[in-house]
Amino acid sequence: MRIACPFCGERENGEFTYLGDAKPQRPAMVALDAGVGASGEQEAFYDYVYLRDNVAGEMSEYWYHGGGCRSWLVVQRNTMTHEISSVKAAAGTGAAAVKASARS
Amino acid sequence: MAEFVWHAVSPLQHSFTPGRMGETADAAGVRMAEIRNFNLVQIFARRGQWSAVAKAAKAHFGVEAPTRPQAVSGKAGVLLWSGPDQLSALTARRGDEIRPLDALRDRFAGIASLSDQSDGRCLLRISGARARDMLAKVSSVDLDAAVFPVGAAAATAIDHTAANLWREADAADGSPVFKLLVFSSFADSLWDTLVDAAAEYGIEVESPAGL
Repeated sequence: MRIACPFCGERENGEFTYLGDAKPQRPAMVALDAGVGASGEQEAFYDYVYLRDNVAGEMSEYWYHGGGCRSWLVVQRNTMTHEISSVKAAAGTGAAAVKASARS
Repeated sequence: MAEFVWHAVSPLQHSFTPGRMGETADAAGVRMAEIRNFNLVQIFARRGQWSAVAKAAKAHFGVEAPTRPQAVSGKAGVLLWSGPDQLSALTARRGDEIRPLDALRDRFAGIASLSDQSDGRCLLRISGARARDMLAKVSSVDLDAAVFPVGAAAATAIDHTAANLWREADAADGSPVFKLLVFSSFADSLWDTLVDAAAEYGIEVESPAGL
């Protein structure tokens, strides 16, 4: 498998490290007392930290180009065929501004 | 109290002696030399400050800062792309000028983070008619002249070791010249790998040179 890094061009997958699903977004958690949030928030946080879908098909994943430009990438990959449909830089890569939507 | 005097030594000092290695029947197909006495500063632009950093780099080094995988050579040295909105400035070390950040601190204040990597990297020059064949054995980057022209650079991994590889102006005999920048602690092992890869072409190990 080769991944087309948007900065470096196409490289062998040995240069990359896999993190996992890029979909989960960190929920806003307001600490009420000693770091414990409301139960709905706890539920959402538990989901964010532990629960993952086992996708058979198109999936959005984080890959790290550690053997190259050291950028985090978001790769659209089909887990059945390893076909990669898109690769783009994760929010905040380089000195680019972080989009507000990516933070919330 | 005894005073310590620190002497920088090359990580490759025990690895080679200048002269022929590998196949010796014909002229050496690969020439390798260690480049010593350089200063290397990593420049990381802060959020949203890339254009200010590029301007400051141009003012200081006299060449355009690369925004894609390129090595831009100028009188002062080489500006090497090392990641999005990052670059490495490679300059010759004159005399005992071992504090390269002093000259850069004011110019990049507030817009970039600087890190002195001068003694953290080892620099090799690889040239010769078979240099490409040798590198093809250890690198997955396509180094064909059509896609990797003079000035092209790659942040890549060779033998699981992170390395910066770039191409400089061809040698007088028309053969390509590559530079390879690698972490000092991996230089010895990578040197052995390169020697193994080049042995069949014949290697001329040249005396260590300056930048």
